[in-house]
This record gives sequence, C-alpha cells and structure tokens, in this order.
Amino acid sequence: MRSRLNSLFDALLPVIATLAALGVGAVMLLVLGANPLEAYGALWVGAFGSTNAFAETLVKATPLLLVALGICISFRGDVINIGGEGQMIVGAILATSVGLTFTGLPGWLVIAMAMLAGFIGGGIWGGIPGVLKAYFNVNEILSTVMMNAIAVQFMNFMLRGPMIDPSQAELASKIPQTARLLEPFRLLRWAPTRLHLGALIAVVLAILVYILLWRTTLGYRIRAVGQNPNASRYAGIDVKRHVVLALLLSGAFAGLAGMIQVYGVNYRMITDGSASGFTGSAGFNGIVAALFGQLHPIWSIPASVLFGALLVGANSMQRMVQIPSALVTALNGLVVVFVVSSEIWRRRRQRRRLAAAKEEDVPPKPDPDTPGKTKVRA
Amino acid sequence: MKKNVRLFVLFVLLALVVGACGTPATVAPAPVQPTEPAAPAATEEPAATEEPAAEEPFRVAVVMPSAINDLAFSQSMHDALLRIQEEMGGESMFEIVYSENMFVVDDAAAALRDYASQGFDLVIGHGSQYGSSLQEIAPDFPETSFAWGTTVDTFGLPNVFAYEAASDQGGFVNGAIAASLSESNIIGVVGPIETGDAKLYVDGFKAGAEAIKPDIDVRVSYIGSFSDVALASEAANTHVSAGADVLTGTAQMVVGAIGVAEENDVLWFGTQSNQASLAPSVVVASQVYHWEGILAEMIDMIKGGTLGGQSFIIDLANGGEVIEFNPEYELVANVNTVAEQTIQGIIDGSITIDLGQ
Repeated sequence: MRSRLNSLFDALLPVIATLAALGVGAVMLLVLGANPLEAYGALWVGAFGSTNAFAETLVKATPLLLVALGICISFRGDVINIGGEGQMIVGAILATSVGLTFTGLPGWLVIAMAMLAGFIGGGIWGGIPGVLKAYFNVNEILSTVMMNAIAVQFMNFMLRGPMIDPSQAELASKIPQTARLLEPFRLLRWAPTRLHLGALIAVVLAILVYILLWRTTLGYRIRAVGQNPNASRYAGIDVKRHVVLALLLSGAFAGLAGMIQVYGVNYRMITDGSASGFTGSAGFNGIVAALFGQLHPIWSIPASVLFGALLVGANSMQRMVQIPSALVTALNGLVVVFVVSSEIWRRRRQRRRLAAAKEEDVPPKPDPDTPGKTKVRA
Repeated sequence: MKKNVRLFVLFVLLALVVGACGTPATVAPAPVQPTEPAAPAATEEPAATEEPAAEEPFRVAVVMPSAINDLAFSQSMHDALLRIQEEMGGESMFEIVYSENMFVVDDAAAALRDYASQGFDLVIGHGSQYGSSLQEIAPDFPETSFAWGTTVDTFGLPNVFAYEAASDQGGFVNGAIAASLSESNIIGVVGPIETGDAKLYVDGFKAGAEAIKPDIDVRVSYIGSFSDVALASEAANTHVSAGADVLTGTAQMVVGAIGVAEENDVLWFGTQSNQASLAPSVVVASQVYHWEGILAEMIDMIKGGTLGGQSFIIDLANGGEVIEFNPEYELVANVNTVAEQTIQGIIDGSITIDLGQ
C-alpha cells in the first residue's frame, strides 16, 4: 500500500513541480502588476483553448518528443547528450539539401530520403562525441555542447554560401535562408492548422523506441551498459560500441526532429545566427520533456505535449496580457529548474527507501556499486 | 554520488542555456514602456456622441525579434508606433499590441497568424527572417494588411507591404565623422551576420570612412549572432586592444560593445535607435530609423482600401533616417562641417555611395 502511494507520488512529481514553478511565476506576475489568474487563463487558452491552439501545441511538441526519444536512449545508456541543438541543425541541413537537390523525384520518395538524411546527419553529429567518449574518454557533456557551436557556424556558413536562396543571392539584403521546398515535398497538413504528419511519425517512433529499449537485444545491452558497464563487460557486451550507439541513436532522433521542422513547419531553413532561432531550443527542451516523462518513450508523449503547451501558451500569454517577454523566459526556466530538481529529489528518496528496505530484509551487504562507475537508473 | 554530480552539471547547463536564450534583449537599461494591459474594451465604446464619427481605432500588431527596449532594431519600430499613436490621438484611436523577443521563426509565425485571425488592421513582421512565414499566412487573410522588413519583396501579394532602410546612407555619414575624429586611424566595427540593413550599414560606414581617409584601417568583425551580447563585447575588446579609437556596430547585441567603448573611453557611433543614453560620454551620433513616415503612408493606404503591394524605403532624404547627434558630446567645429556636408551631399545626390559590389 505504502509503496504504491510512493510510486504514485513519484509519477506525479513532475506535474507537482510544474505547478510549484507556476506558483513562483504567479508571484513574479503579481510584482509586475499583472493578474496571475488572467495570465494563466491566457496561457491555458493559448495552449488548449481552440482547435488551432491545440494544433500549435502539438506542432511545438513534435520536435520535443523526437529529441526526448533520443534522450531516453542515451540517458538509459548512461551517456548525457546535450548536443540536441547541433544534431537537429546538421540533420536539417542534410535533409534540406536532399529536398533541394532531387527536385525531379516523387514527393514520398524525397520525404523518405530526407528522413533518412536527417537521421544520418544527426547520427553523425551524435556519433562523433560517442566515439570520443568510448575510445578517448572525452566527457560527452562537454563535447556535445561544443559540437552545437560548430553546427551553428556550419549552418550560418551553408545558408549564406552554398545553400542560399538563389533569389536572395541577387538582392542586397542577402537573407541567409535556403530556397523553399517544392509543394509535393512538404509533409501533409491538417488544414487550416499547422498540424502536420510529423506529429504522427513522432508518436509511432515513440512506440518503436519503446520496443527497441525493452524488446530487443540492442536495447537491453544499451540499458545494461548504462546500469553497470563492468558487469556488462563481464557478460561479454562490447561496452564501447554501445556507448557510441547510444549517442549515435540519440543524435539521429534529434536530426530527424530537425528534418521534421523543415519539411513540416518552415519548408526552408533560415537562420538568425543562433541555434535556437531555428530549433526553438527543442534540443534542450527535449531533455526536460524526457525527464518529465521519466525517461520512458511512451510517457515522453504526454510530457512533450505538456511542455509544448507551456511554451505555446506562454507566448500567447505574452501577446494577450502584454507582459515583458523576459517573464516568459523566466517561467520557462523555473519549470526546468523545478522539474530537474524534483528528479534529483525523487532518486534520492528512492535510494533511501531501498536502503531502508534492505536493512529490514537482509543483513547489510557491501555496496553493489563499484567505485568510479556511474549508474543512471536505480 | 557521482551521478548526482552529473545531474547537477546537467542542471546547471540547462539553467544556463535557458537563461542565455532570454538575456540579450533584456540587458538594455532603457525605461520600460508603459504597457497598459491591451486597452480593455476599447473597441466598443457606447455610441460616442462626438461629431467626428465614432471611428473604430486602427489596430496594429507587431512581432519583433528582440525586446522593445533593445535600443536598436525593435525599439526603432516600437518608438515609431508610439509616435504615430500620439499623433493619431492616443490609445483609443490607435491600438498597439506587440510580441517581443520572437527570435524563433516558428514562434513568430504562430504569433503572426494569431494576430491576423484577431482582425488587426495591420500586422507587422519586423524582421527579414519573418518573410517566409508572411508569404504563407498573408494569402489566408486577404482582408488583413501585412508589412515586413527590412526587404523590398512583397511576394507580389496584394496585402503585403515591404519596407527597407537605406542604412548605408547613415553608415556613410557615421563613417565620415568617425574617420575625421580617429587619431590612430584604426576603426572597429561589430556586426551580427552579413545580411539586411546590418550589412548595408557596415558597407556604408566603411565607404564613408574611406572617402575621408583612403588609407584608414576599418576592421569589420561579424560575430555571427544578433543576440550574443558577450561575444559583441569581446569583438569590441579585440578592436580596442588592436588600437581602435572609434567603434561602431549594428543590431541589438551591440549594447555589450557600447559598454566596452565607454570603459575604454573610445568613441561610439550608433545606428537603428538613438544609443546616446547608454554611454553619454562616448556616443558621438546615431543614425535613427524613423519608421513613422512610411508607416503613416501605409496606414493611409490601408484606410483608402489598398492593403499592400508596395515597398517603401527610409533614407536621409525622406526623413526616415535621421542622424541624431549626442548633445553631451561636443563635436569639433570642422568635423561638424564634414558631417553636415556629407548629409547634404547624400540628400542632394552629389555624394553617391559605392558599396563596391
């Protein structure tokens, strides 16, 4: 009974954390002279109030979910991938160049090729830090962040140079953007909203990732390496290879998210010089969505929708209540802080509970954790 | 234990990242505009009794890539709208609603569509990165007028206006003054990415400086970002340590560079908005965009039933660009003459700017 209550509490913890963050946000709204009820009302209406609003929420949730799926894989494998932004960008660049090159081919074929290109592009960008970590012991947190910076510069170079829209190349303004994708190459839309087929693709992939992680040998090995690399090595698993694979797959899903943004939403790549101008910070927010979903691919679906709603609703709140956009950023940050902290707290509680249970059942044993090794899931 | 450390690192990184996204635009210490909560029920005034026919207010929505108090691109538009509002008789006659910091193109598109569906008379996408979105949205709302800039492209759509700033003109003037004032003959320029009015300004500035001193060393660094205030500061520092005694820069991230100029007592030339308030001791002059002229033209056309199809340009001759001198900086008399002659020359056409393209 008690344990069931405990696990229910654990499952609801991210939601409680979000509400707590909104509570702190309410204080900030009050200080700014805005009515929190009115503001959060606008947030709700902006995210769920109409068909179009909900469609926008789902559009926002789609890249979050795709990135989150990759995060589920890498975090389960005990590698931390903060390179989602760069992986999205590289995936999008490869996918876009497919669409701009093969203009004579049928739409379905180009879309399929572009998805593959996005997958490969992100995979390469994730795989490089994977190799660096597995074979040269380079910390993947640092290398993935650094790869983001390289990807942004690469994007700025490509969109100003080789991939620039030919019509912009002639103008003095030279807006750094590619040409638009041809009509047949764009993902099916549920008019008049912007909801596109990519949302469905993401959900299907969430199920596939679940199967991958819990129903295949590869997934089992990735998780085993994540839980205990030494035991895995003893059991004959090639640990290094699976570290690379975990990061590579993680990057591939982010790359796919980049492809979906181009083929489903923007129909071209355009840069304002920053990564988030293109990604909308989905590469980072996807991590939060994954943690929100307790690193489970299926639970990541509602988590992404919730987080997407928060982002879309906050923007709409700014429009409706005319509060400074800095508050939107702050609110966003508060949710991240609260959700990530609650995850740390949950783990601590879980460990304490486990320790207490052990003391009751069996005589104390030496700590099963080998020193110098990490473990992401208890 | 170690995993907690990793989670902590992750946590800090996320906090940094989420924080970083919002910082650039909020740095400017400019006064916060009085933002009355969107004119409550201003639209339905109970049958006004005044003679001049109870007109519906003209409603404008604007989407901007940075904050309305960025002392640069976004502020120039917001200030212009406020001036028009004042001219037209306040909030009851001219309603302004804005979305700021919409640097995510995709979010901006959602905002533009939302405004259009709310029946605003004019929806402005104030950034060249929004054109692609407008091109898609405008046909769905044939009754709504859209405007975007800086560009000349209306996509051939009957309800899209385009506007551009001939920022090379003010750049040329700034460059000419800068070269006259420089003693080390090294000038540093901090640009965002090589596009739009930023590129025009930088090219114009270089041409202006070289017109005065052909052998002057104008060092241009494009930092690759419109928002990275810290990087802009670093670029400015580099220029200063290379001996530059005059700096300029364009776009919303230059607030960082202006700080560096002030610290090192190096002269600064501004553009887009009047930046004198940031560093009164070193700002010589700013090229200020006064969009209100062309906005007024657009509004007249919209009231007359023309919703778009035309592109506008602001320059020194039509008063859309004004060189505003900082009253707290005393300009040497002979340099003042150079400035005035250059402005006059550009206006009457005796000076043509060769951007070397």
